[in-house]
Amino acid sequence: MAQIFPRWTNKIPLAIGVGTPIALCGVVFVVWYYFSPKFTDVGYQPEQPVPFSHKLHAGELGLDCRYCHNTVEVAAQAAIPPLGTCMNCHSQLNLGDREGRVQPVKDAFEGKSTLEWVRVHMLPDYAYFNHSVHVAAGVGCSTCHGRIDQMQVVAQAEPLSMSWCLDCHRNPEPNLRPRDQVTNMAWFETPASKEYNPAEDPTRTRAVSPPEHCSGCHR
Amino acid sequence: MTRRLTITAALLVLASAGAGCRGNKSAEPPIHPNWNMDDQSYFQGQEDNDWFPDHRAMRPPVAGAVAQGQLHDDDAYYRGRGADGRLVDGLPDGVELTQALLDRGHARFNIYCAPCHEKSGYGHGVIIQRGFAVPPPSYHEPRLQAMPLGYIFDVISHGKGTMRPYAVQVPVADRWAIAAWVRVLQVSQRATVADVPADVMTQLKASGGNP
Repeated sequence: MAQIFPRWTNKIPLAIGVGTPIALCGVVFVVWYYFSPKFTDVGYQPEQPVPFSHKLHAGELGLDCRYCHNTVEVAAQAAIPPLGTCMNCHSQLNLGDREGRVQPVKDAFEGKSTLEWVRVHMLPDYAYFNHSVHVAAGVGCSTCHGRIDQMQVVAQAEPLSMSWCLDCHRNPEPNLRPRDQVTNMAWFETPASKEYNPAEDPTRTRAVSPPEHCSGCHR
Repeated sequence: MTRRLTITAALLVLASAGAGCRGNKSAEPPIHPNWNMDDQSYFQGQEDNDWFPDHRAMRPPVAGAVAQGQLHDDDAYYRGRGADGRLVDGLPDGVELTQALLDRGHARFNIYCAPCHEKSGYGHGVIIQRGFAVPPPSYHEPRLQAMPLGYIFDVISHGKGTMRPYAVQVPVADRWAIAAWVRVLQVSQRATVADVPADVMTQLKASGGNP
């Protein structure tokens, strides 16, 4: 009587035994590596309607972040400035052959068009975030946004994932700085930052206690 | 068998390379494998709403609208003018001249004013160096030294010449703090030895002029 199963079928159990764990590991790797906001969101660098350079304005000119994002200390949002803020300087500046780059701002200011900036940092709509409390606690701009003063075009530097938020909420001290240094992009490269201890800062009236419970952020 | 393994490994490497590495720059919006409720049907501040022709979800208030409790009818505080309509020369009631006020004014001045007016008030700020058409006058001119405090508040609020109004960027309380700091700058540039307090003078003499 002929054999029902050919000889090679003897290897099937072995192949399943070895292949399944490898395949599972592969799936876990793909989800771990590619589904994380570290992969999906970090590096998002949308093209903006105006080639505005933070490297020039915040870096070279040394304008304080709050000159434009003036709501950051009192409101949940660090608002994109109104066109009037651009025109404070650009109404009287002549950039010569680069003037065309500012033209969309001037047209929008005169009401001829609207300027639609593309949002870079997008938190999920179910997560509550408030800029003012973070700034008041002495969490600097560069902690979450990276070295904006070195970015010609802004890109997302940090994953803004829940675990990333919690890393700091559980142990905020390493990311705290004096509250008058919040907009100092290079704070953590200064020698003073090595010696800074939030617990000994006389301008702090109480220790920061970021929420770790669900409804702290998912309200 | 070895050949098949090699091919599989090569395919895996290729697939990973094709999917890219973490942190690569991309102008394409993020793709979330699981959207959950990341984007819900409500509007956050400054979001877009295609229903309106200008796509702004935040609607500008009707011209002349006044929010409750924001009539701002205290002329001295909100406009820097007294009952006679003239600019006040001093801080309005409710604003105390304290070190905290001056510190606040100092910090705010350096953010909003120093780009043009320079931290010292002489008017050679970085924006002027970059070609702003009309440089601002120095605060230390006799004409501006003589101006009442309300004048500084008024110029911050409404602008002057090529300076645009800063009422949007700087709230009223901060405008008074900045006005106070501008006065500090003015006084500092016409100070004499006689203005130095006696105890500080003793210290200065003891240290040979190095504070």
